[in-house]
Amino acid sequence: MSHEYVPEIAVDREGKEHVVQGWQGDYEGGKLGFWLFMLTEVLMFGAMFMTLTYYFTLHHADFIKASSELDRTLGGVNTVVLLFSALTMGLGLLKMRSGDVKGAKLMIWLTILLAAVFLGVKAQEWTNDYHEGIFLGLDSMQAGGGKSFGEILFFGMYFTMTGLHGFHIIIGIGLMLWLLKRINSGKVSPDHHILHFNIALYWDLVHLIWVFVFPYFYMTGAGVIHG
Amino acid sequence: MSKSYFDETHCAFGHPKSTFMQWMLTVDHKRIGIMYAVVMFTFFFVAVAAALTMRFELFAPGQQFIDAHTFNQAFTLHGVVMVFLFIIPGIPAVFGNIVMPLMIGAKDVSFPRLNWFTFWLYIVGCIVALSSLFNFNIADGSLVFNFADTGWTFYAPYSLNTDTNVVTTLVAAFILGMASILTGLNFLVTIHRLRAPGMDFFKMPLFVWGIYATAWIQLLATPVIGITLVLALLEKYFGIGIFDPAKGGDPVLFQHLFWIYSHPAVYLMILPAFGIMSEIIPAFSRREIFGYRTIALSSAAIAGVGYLVWGHHLFTSGMSDLAKTMFSFLTFFVAIPTGIKFYDWIATMYKGKIILDTPMLWALGTIITFAIGGLSGVTIAMIGADIHLQDTYYTIAHFHYAMLGGVVFLFFAGIHYWFPLVFGKMYSEAKAKFAFYTLFIGFNLLWFPMFIAGYLGMPRRYFDYLPEFHIYHQISFWGAIIFVSGLIFMFYTLIQGMRNGKPTTPNPWNATTLEWHLPSSPPPLENHTKVPYVDFRPYEYHHGQPVVKFDENMKRID
Amino acid sequence: MANHKTVDYQAEKGIYYKVLFGLLALTALTFIQPEMFLTQYTFGMQMLIGTVKAWIILMYYMHLKGEVLIGWTVIFAVFIVVFFFSIVMIDVSNFQYADVSHITSPAQ
Ligand code: HEM
Ligand SMILES: [Cu+2]
Repeated sequence: MSHEYVPEIAVDREGKEHVVQGWQGDYEGGKLGFWLFMLTEVLMFGAMFMTLTYYFTLHHADFIKASSELDRTLGGVNTVVLLFSALTMGLGLLKMRSGDVKGAKLMIWLTILLAAVFLGVKAQEWTNDYHEGIFLGLDSMQAGGGKSFGEILFFGMYFTMTGLHGFHIIIGIGLMLWLLKRINSGKVSPDHHILHFNIALYWDLVHLIWVFVFPYFYMTGAGVIHG
Repeated sequence: MSKSYFDETHCAFGHPKSTFMQWMLTVDHKRIGIMYAVVMFTFFFVAVAAALTMRFELFAPGQQFIDAHTFNQAFTLHGVVMVFLFIIPGIPAVFGNIVMPLMIGAKDVSFPRLNWFTFWLYIVGCIVALSSLFNFNIADGSLVFNFADTGWTFYAPYSLNTDTNVVTTLVAAFILGMASILTGLNFLVTIHRLRAPGMDFFKMPLFVWGIYATAWIQLLATPVIGITLVLALLEKYFGIGIFDPAKGGDPVLFQHLFWIYSHPAVYLMILPAFGIMSEIIPAFSRREIFGYRTIALSSAAIAGVGYLVWGHHLFTSGMSDLAKTMFSFLTFFVAIPTGIKFYDWIATMYKGKIILDTPMLWALGTIITFAIGGLSGVTIAMIGADIHLQDTYYTIAHFHYAMLGGVVFLFFAGIHYWFPLVFGKMYSEAKAKFAFYTLFIGFNLLWFPMFIAGYLGMPRRYFDYLPEFHIYHQISFWGAIIFVSGLIFMFYTLIQGMRNGKPTTPNPWNATTLEWHLPSSPPPLENHTKVPYVDFRPYEYHHGQPVVKFDENMKRID
Repeated sequence: MANHKTVDYQAEKGIYYKVLFGLLALTALTFIQPEMFLTQYTFGMQMLIGTVKAWIILMYYMHLKGEVLIGWTVIFAVFIVVFFFSIVMIDVSNFQYADVSHITSPAQ
């Protein structure tokens, strides 16, 4: 599959020539394919949001109470961190496309750094939760362990969804490292950058998911005073 | 002799010398399709064996061969294998791979390496599914049969509480779902990007339309079941209470999520099958298809409306009355585009020069069986009737008429139709026709009595029954015996044809679509020598002869 | 993969910064809203702000602007999610067995 690809020509009845699109080096196809993949992620998280909203409807007050117990400061910090990482990712792609490979690599490293910060903050937050008796599998998180159904469901979904989101961040870091390797070996270059383009898209999607995960969990119970 | 795709191949990596490794690493869409077929039909026979076991047990009231618990495992095994391992990859994985790129004049799918990866993901899913069959006891090295006993639907909360191997089965279903998503993704990009110049959407063969509509379902419905299975696993290990009412969950939500995928999944099975029908009917009537656009768009409509009707599986589950009414109405709407297709096929045959070769026999047989399957489906879309018929053998007969008498029959039709293309050889027509009649008669004997038994109240998933149902189960049993004999005979005929059938020309059926204009049969590695310019409709016949002809450089010469 | 013009970094980076500031402003709004205004609609407001943010990200960071085919596929997917949402919510909010159900409160 490594031989040089020469586009074919099809000739119609008038003798006009038409270029045949091959699967090799199909930039638009690569882009379309990756978008389609991202749509599956949208549906996956969509279904989880649906589950969440289902129980929000059934256990309204419990959800608001549980939400007010989450750490909005750390969550907010992470929101901003992710925002900046989206910027560095975007600028990196821009640099790549304008021919500045070195600058692009720097930006990718910056994005990786920000992603690591995000994970660090997240880990801290989960540790705090754990010490307050809020974590998957703890006795206090089982039915009859002192929490209402709604609270258990809220925190259960909170760990599930932020966990899955965090998993996407980890995958993203892996992808970016791989991208750096491909850049170094010359496989990704200013006029061969579909991989970079798609990984940037992926990173934006991860950001996009957080844009909904954050307010749903952290802000739903904001501004409410509980005795 | 020119070289065919059996002689040479491209590999995902490396240049292995051995034929075996060349098959394992191949990225050629035709080879991958064949490998899918081999694995899928192996599992098909496993599931048939499970079904036959059930039929033996049901021959008489009371317990004969297996106990109640094993019976539960048998129908779960049958359902899981038939659905997740056989019919969901189904026609797209086999014929979507083998003929779809040929039909649009492409050299391969858009992402051949991904296609290779997808196949192996499917195999991994199969292996995980197999691993859930048994528990290995380290102490005495024994294997205990411990397959899930939940039914293929894995309804919560039972699936969360049973001690059988539900977890591995769920993981397998998840992996198989991923493979299905990637197949759909690959096909969507292929159909959008790699059509031959000049071929717009309304010049595509109808099978490609079927695959296209199906691919959207694979892509957008499968993630929902994927995440549902993940939630079920988390629930099982951490007791979050998502689906278990004892912990605050709502089992109805599980059913919603499950059927949001699994209903569109039945259209995922039938749409490519309808595509095969739309190929065979014009080819063997020697007439241009009637209402091309309506058939194409009805595929899209079925896929679209198919997303919106899942609730008809929840009529007796405690859904709100409002939702029930909505779903009942929406379900009726699916029947409309399906009906349109049927009328179009019949209108195509009207005044055509009908040639009763084996593929056409299968197609005609399916028109009968699927009509029964489809219309009985409309009856249980009515809430009132469904309250009575839900979870009876009536429903089971309905979906076997639709799945077996529709999808699988058309799958067989496709096998007979494209057999000469794939292997460059021909099976024995006489034997293949005999196999068809055996299977057709056996099938109706097997499933029609079950409509009556179900209507009279025979519940599904029971290993025992009242004596009054004896006669129906007996007829059904003999039907099953005839059916399975026919099945074995059919595969024997096909394998015979593959081994030492007569060599064929590239276009033995006088068909019109591009896959019949290959330079040789079986086709060479990279398909058409030259890509044609497509300025014609897919099924142009004039006085019973194909209109469009090509020279060896794929230039039109008519 | 040759069909794209080279881009001018200096000319295009401006838009990225503008979007960043827009998103930062909206994030600030996220924090202000529950304390300051429309507090009885916090959930809806938060989702609204989220949607605006998502829109901006899609259009500018993900370059959806000007993509016809991909744009429609996204609309289709989002439509389906919204549809699933609406029906399931209609069902659960018309739940008619709440009185006899143990789902909403622990069984005694
Ligand atoms: C070889 C012919 C077949 C026979 C003899 C057969 C027989 C049966 C029987 C006896 C049952 C159990 C009914 C009950 O007790 O509830 C069953 C269930 C089922 N069959 Fe088949 N079947 C055949 C082919 C198929 C095919 C091709 C499919 C493809 C989708 C299929 C899908 C199913 C499913 C999904 C169930 C329900 C399993 C469950 O209750 O969880 N069957 N079949
Ligand atoms: Cu259905």
